[in-house]
Amino acid sequence: MNGYPLKIIGLANRTKMRISSGETEPDDSALVAWAAKGRVDSFKILVSRYRNQAYFFARGMVGNSEDAYDLSQEAFIRVHRHLKRYDPAYSFKSWFFHILSNLCKNHLRHKKVRARHTTSLETAPIIADASEKQPDIAYQRSEIQQKVWEAIGELPDNFREIIILSHFQEMSYEQMARVLGIPTGSVMSRLYYARRKLREILEKRGVSL
Amino acid sequence: MSCDGMKILLSGLIDGELDAGQKKSAESHIVFCGGCREEYARLLKLKEVTDDMKYFDLPDKLWAGYWQGIYRRIERGIGWFLLSLGAAVIIAFGAWRFLNDFILDPRISVFLKIGVGALLSGLIILLVSIIRERLFIRKHDRYDEVEI
Repeated sequence: MNGYPLKIIGLANRTKMRISSGETEPDDSALVAWAAKGRVDSFKILVSRYRNQAYFFARGMVGNSEDAYDLSQEAFIRVHRHLKRYDPAYSFKSWFFHILSNLCKNHLRHKKVRARHTTSLETAPIIADASEKQPDIAYQRSEIQQKVWEAIGELPDNFREIIILSHFQEMSYEQMARVLGIPTGSVMSRLYYARRKLREILEKRGVSL
Repeated sequence: MSCDGMKILLSGLIDGELDAGQKKSAESHIVFCGGCREEYARLLKLKEVTDDMKYFDLPDKLWAGYWQGIYRRIERGIGWFLLSLGAAVIIAFGAWRFLNDFILDPRISVFLKIGVGALLSGLIILLVSIIRERLFIRKHDRYDEVEI
């Protein structure tokens, strides 16, 4: 972090974080509060905490790596710009993904000919559980998983979004409701119809689930 | 509850998101309804497949550039804000001085005032027009998607 002119808080405050001393890492709300006071190092921790999920969420949504990289970065920049608006009563994760999700949808609207098709050309950004001991089963699973990822790319935007949030971001219904701006009951029904649609696509590809 | 409604609840059941009443109702329904039991098994299977799928970590080199990119853009944002603020103050001051020291000065010829006024108005109109055109092209470039 040395050399960044935006770092304006002195070393005295650094002791609050105590990350290097092996103590518990600060939670998101604390990091947001410090970042809002100008601590770039706190914001950097938030970025490292969510960058992987953000990147792969965007990649699942828009279908290609380059746009996903830019959009996830843009989401962090937007978050930084509006840090003071964050309500600690709700999880940072849902707030962040709400912003990222809107950016992705906006991107898709402008692109019109979205990169949906390129999702299937790229390999799934996912690896199977390495605990599988039998190689033939692991291979079969990996093939199915590749097909699942490709099928997700063919879902309509709102279905793809909820499938990724639920199955890959492992969000609760309450968190998803906040990300999507819909009631929890609607999350349950939309997720069910999304899963059903996903199964239909998989069946057309010869995968029966 | 109809089977259609129940299937939505079953989706909630596999996610562990039902309250006690809904859970009891869903669990007792699949005992006697074969169709919903099958649907439940299929939903579970899909979840099992995706549960084994995890995002892999991108190489550290890529993430180093990632933070740099974010940091630069945040820094640039602050730069642009200060630049715009400074420009707005200078323009406002300039406009105020122009009004007092030039337009309202009775010693300066009206023709000169009209000439300078027209020149400045023309420059502003041209500037706004060019900016608008640039923004329009950026938004609606039909060749934007063409790879070179």
